[in-house]
Amino acid sequence: MAEIRNRYDALVIGGGIAGIQAALDLGEQGFEVLLVDRYPSIGGVMVGLNKVFPTLDCSSCICTPRMAEAAHHERIQLQTYTEVRSVVRQGTDFEVDLVLKPRYLDEDTCIGCNECELACPVHVPHEFDYGLGSRRAIYIPHGNAIPQKAVLVPGECVFCGKCEKVCPTHCIDFTQEARRATTTVGTVIIATGLQITPMDKKPEYGGSRFPNVMSPLAMERIQSSNGPYGRVLRPADGKIPRSIAYVQCAGSRDRSIGIPYCSRVCCMYALKQALLLRHYIHDVDVTLYHMDIRAFGKGYEQFYRRVMAEGVKVIKGKVAKITEVDNYDLLLRVELLDEDGRVVERRHDLVVLSQGLVPAWHPKGTIDVAEADDGFLLTPEAKVNPSFTTMDGVFVAGVAAGPKDIPDAIVEAGEAAMAAANYLYVARRRARIQEPALVH
Amino acid sequence: MTEEAKPSAEKKDKPKRPIEILRDRHGGMSKELKEFFNEQQRVFKAIKTALKAGPKTVPQLAAECKLDSPKTMWHVMALRRDGDLVESAERDGYLVYSLKGEER
Repeated sequence: MAEIRNRYDALVIGGGIAGIQAALDLGEQGFEVLLVDRYPSIGGVMVGLNKVFPTLDCSSCICTPRMAEAAHHERIQLQTYTEVRSVVRQGTDFEVDLVLKPRYLDEDTCIGCNECELACPVHVPHEFDYGLGSRRAIYIPHGNAIPQKAVLVPGECVFCGKCEKVCPTHCIDFTQEARRATTTVGTVIIATGLQITPMDKKPEYGGSRFPNVMSPLAMERIQSSNGPYGRVLRPADGKIPRSIAYVQCAGSRDRSIGIPYCSRVCCMYALKQALLLRHYIHDVDVTLYHMDIRAFGKGYEQFYRRVMAEGVKVIKGKVAKITEVDNYDLLLRVELLDEDGRVVERRHDLVVLSQGLVPAWHPKGTIDVAEADDGFLLTPEAKVNPSFTTMDGVFVAGVAAGPKDIPDAIVEAGEAAMAAANYLYVARRRARIQEPALVH
Repeated sequence: MTEEAKPSAEKKDKPKRPIEILRDRHGGMSKELKEFFNEQQRVFKAIKTALKAGPKTVPQLAAECKLDSPKTMWHVMALRRDGDLVESAERDGYLVYSLKGEER
């Protein structure tokens, strides 16, 4: 693994699709970039998605070539499993303090063979599958992970030492400890991405109590060919679901949970998943309960019409409560908005809560940029300079600035890279002007 | 120093193995992990034993092993991922699982 150098032109925080795009755009312009991700693999949320709307292209097929390009780019240094502790302005530059978390193996000699994972006796819920699948205490994050290097979680380890014994390259190093590193960078791009609204935000929906009430990201994994079940099954009992409901605006557009904004992607990902469920399970009943469908992007309205034409029921109705009945089935109490608010009860095998997007990271204590009221980074010049933050030389890309879909995140990442490059050119020009002239 | 104490003193001088260094740094295996791990081994064994008698669905396995169904499902999927179980058929809307090599 390459050591942290004294200086880089740019630091990109977050290795999701926005951070990768920003790093690639800067690298291609000739800037030296340090791309930092706190997780053991880059790829962010996108690499775990099944397909993207409205084209239904394979998500990881789009994401992984860019991940590989960033990892092999001569001017991008990838630093995974690393936390940014602080970023402090020094003149036009920034002093960066990093914590390099130990993987408990030598990254240079690990060949990603999986032997350690297969030898480990402990199975734990896998974060990549949102707990539905399992991994071991030492594991490679997933099949598309970059880098393809294992990581050991000591808190899950039974200290049997089997991983060390089976490693063909003897790369396991139990004595590793977290290391601190500092560097100086000329500019910073924050691309720290998203989480979905916590499943327990609306207790009346039972998201954290009922196993068959699931998050949309868990459904992405279930629908994926490399998902935890290999096909669509109920988490409670392995039943092939015959009736599936989507509850829209389950984690946004709701002042009662402190998330008043529209998350912009929920209508479209729900429509996409609903359509794919119709493809994956013959004659399955899929119903979307919504306040209104917001299909605003290129080709989105046509996609919405296609989903309805292919048999997905789209009902204007507000779900008030979900209860679990016998056999882990679910009973939804729905106010039908198109029928004068008539209240009905509908039974479904499986329910997906269309959770909203919230920021995955907050800058307080790390870097002195302001957040907006909604918790995303404040972009004071949102109309003309959407990537500008409240600190000169620090830019934001992707969902860290607010909810958006993948195309918008990539476009804004390009804009952030261009703004960061511009900042670097101006700073260099100013530095040259301030240098004392040589007198001959 | 008593005679009984001598061997342990010698043991102390012996350099620690790397796995022991890791264990000591993290305070050993927590009680929760120990219980979790033991329970996991018990559930895996119970599922495999139940399947020796023939293929079963997750609710059937849960009933036979006296486990709750979601927990059984998670463990069945872990065994499936390891290649110990395979899906052998579909019965009344559920998949039927068998031990690998014993599909009927």
